Amino acid sequence: MSSEDRSREEELVRAREEISHLKRRLADDRFAEDLRDALTLVAAAGAISSPLEHSRLLEMIVETAAGVLPSRSAALFLLDEEAEELVFEVALGPEADEVRKFRIPLGHGIAGLVAVSGQPMAVSDAAKDPRQAADVAESVGYAPESILCVPLVHEDEIIGVLELLDREGAPSFSAPDMEALGLFANQAAVAIEQSRAQGNLSALLGGVLGSLGGMPDHRIESLREGVEPFVAGVEEGASHRRALELAELVREISHRGEEESKACHTILQGFAEYLRSRPRPEDEAGEMW
Amino acid sequence: MVADPGPRPAWSQQFAPEMLQTLTPVPPLDRITPEWAWGGSEGEDVKVAVIDSGIDADHPAVGGRVSGHVAVTDGPLGLLHDFEPHGDSYGHGTACAGIIRSIAPACELYSVKVLGSRLTGRGTTFTAGLRWAVDNGMHVCNISMGTTKKNFFAVLHDLADKAYFRNTMLVTAANNMPNPSFPSLYSSVVSVASHDGNDPNVFYYNPAPPVEFGAPGIDVRVAWADGGSITATGNSFAAPHITGIAAKILSKHPGLTLFQMKTVLRALSANMPRE
Repeated sequence: MSSEDRSREEELVRAREEISHLKRRLADDRFAEDLRDALTLVAAAGAISSPLEHSRLLEMIVETAAGVLPSRSAALFLLDEEAEELVFEVALGPEADEVRKFRIPLGHGIAGLVAVSGQPMAVSDAAKDPRQAADVAESVGYAPESILCVPLVHEDEIIGVLELLDREGAPSFSAPDMEALGLFANQAAVAIEQSRAQGNLSALLGGVLGSLGGMPDHRIESLREGVEPFVAGVEEGASHRRALELAELVREISHRGEEESKACHTILQGFAEYLRSRPRPEDEAGEMW
Repeated sequence: MVADPGPRPAWSQQFAPEMLQTLTPVPPLDRITPEWAWGGSEGEDVKVAVIDSGIDADHPAVGGRVSGHVAVTDGPLGLLHDFEPHGDSYGHGTACAGIIRSIAPACELYSVKVLGSRLTGRGTTFTAGLRWAVDNGMHVCNISMGTTKKNFFAVLHDLADKAYFRNTMLVTAANNMPNPSFPSLYSSVVSVASHDGNDPNVFYYNPAPPVEFGAPGIDVRVAWADGGSITATGNSFAAPHITGIAAKILSKHPGLTLFQMKTVLRALSANMPRE
């Protein structure tokens, strides 16, 4: 773990202490409002929105959620859109170590419903009818009593679900809990997508190059070959953030619609052609980006 | 689909003396009571569409009576409408149907299944399901779902307006997430969120919309998949309470327009002072 990551962890610890303090200080009827403040604080500390190792980020999201809304266990699933399955990523709780990585096909269950409908849901007597939460039970290794499940939504798209199980200090999850976890999930989804964009920068650029038409295959191939060192270069350099911003911009534009996507493609293609017409970067002493 | 009536020269022809329609009177606001609104009504002859994950007709809460099915899917060949009976693998639509049935036991339930196990085309199948309901004479549609996709804003807005003009009442659950979702934010629908009471006939009016009504939606015992039941929280379960009440009112007072329905519901809300 780098010193930057460590200092972010410290910030997270501080934020958590601040949250506990806030919660003690404030009366019950202002609970939802307080949680919102607490979550904003976590976000402001940058604890979950900074580049971190992807799996560590997912763990931190689950830990933070289960810390802010005290719960016996928690789980996070990400959506595999192509396979139409929820992929179990992280579990936290007494039996979490025994849980293996597994997938849930969509079509049933509370996590599946939340992923398909985009609507959060809370259940307060799940153990009475264990069939209804079989998927959840599998994710943490026991049948929970109460469940709060919210979607992870990024730019209108559902990317996964976050579940808290067995609320501590209350018989079940409340409507303000749902609202608070919903706000947190929005923040978490942004962090996950940023982290993915970072991990997938080479894949993203590969995709952009692959979509360029009207160019001989060998030229595309040679551009593709340049992608890996390029990504390695930007990840080391100060320009990393700009590359991520570009990736995010392309993603945002392509979400706007077909026309916008086409316009973006035309502009990028024009720029790429201009670059190709110039001497290759290694022939010059200048910076690549 | 209803045929396009073609261009109209002017709307004023509606108001020519020989064309004027006589309206059904509604009592003064302070004389609107639950007894006037739904006394003796069980929702007879009112068609209620549940636009959701399907309905398990055999669930005891539904009682074997589903008057029609349509399952909309989006595949490589485009949109498909399947009118064969279907079930509900999630339980969500069955939960909504069970609530509606408990309030308006005689209403005609139609299952419009738009949520399946497919992720692709969710906005498209939802829109197509809603369109089917509006085009096929449903009186009330329960929409305990929505889409956050902005590119569906206009098409759903148009469809909600069409429903409004046809007197198809769209009862929508407000999004439980702090994200804008459609159609629950339009003025042409009745948007519902949860309150934590458990009397199914108690609802509140919110004078600061977009969410106009509050109905029970917290720790509600609802029907679920495989003939089971759960105690669940979500605005999804508040909307069907208003749907059921609307079905009872429309059965007793057919032809009330949406603005009259909103007025009647407001007059009957629990935060309206009474003598």
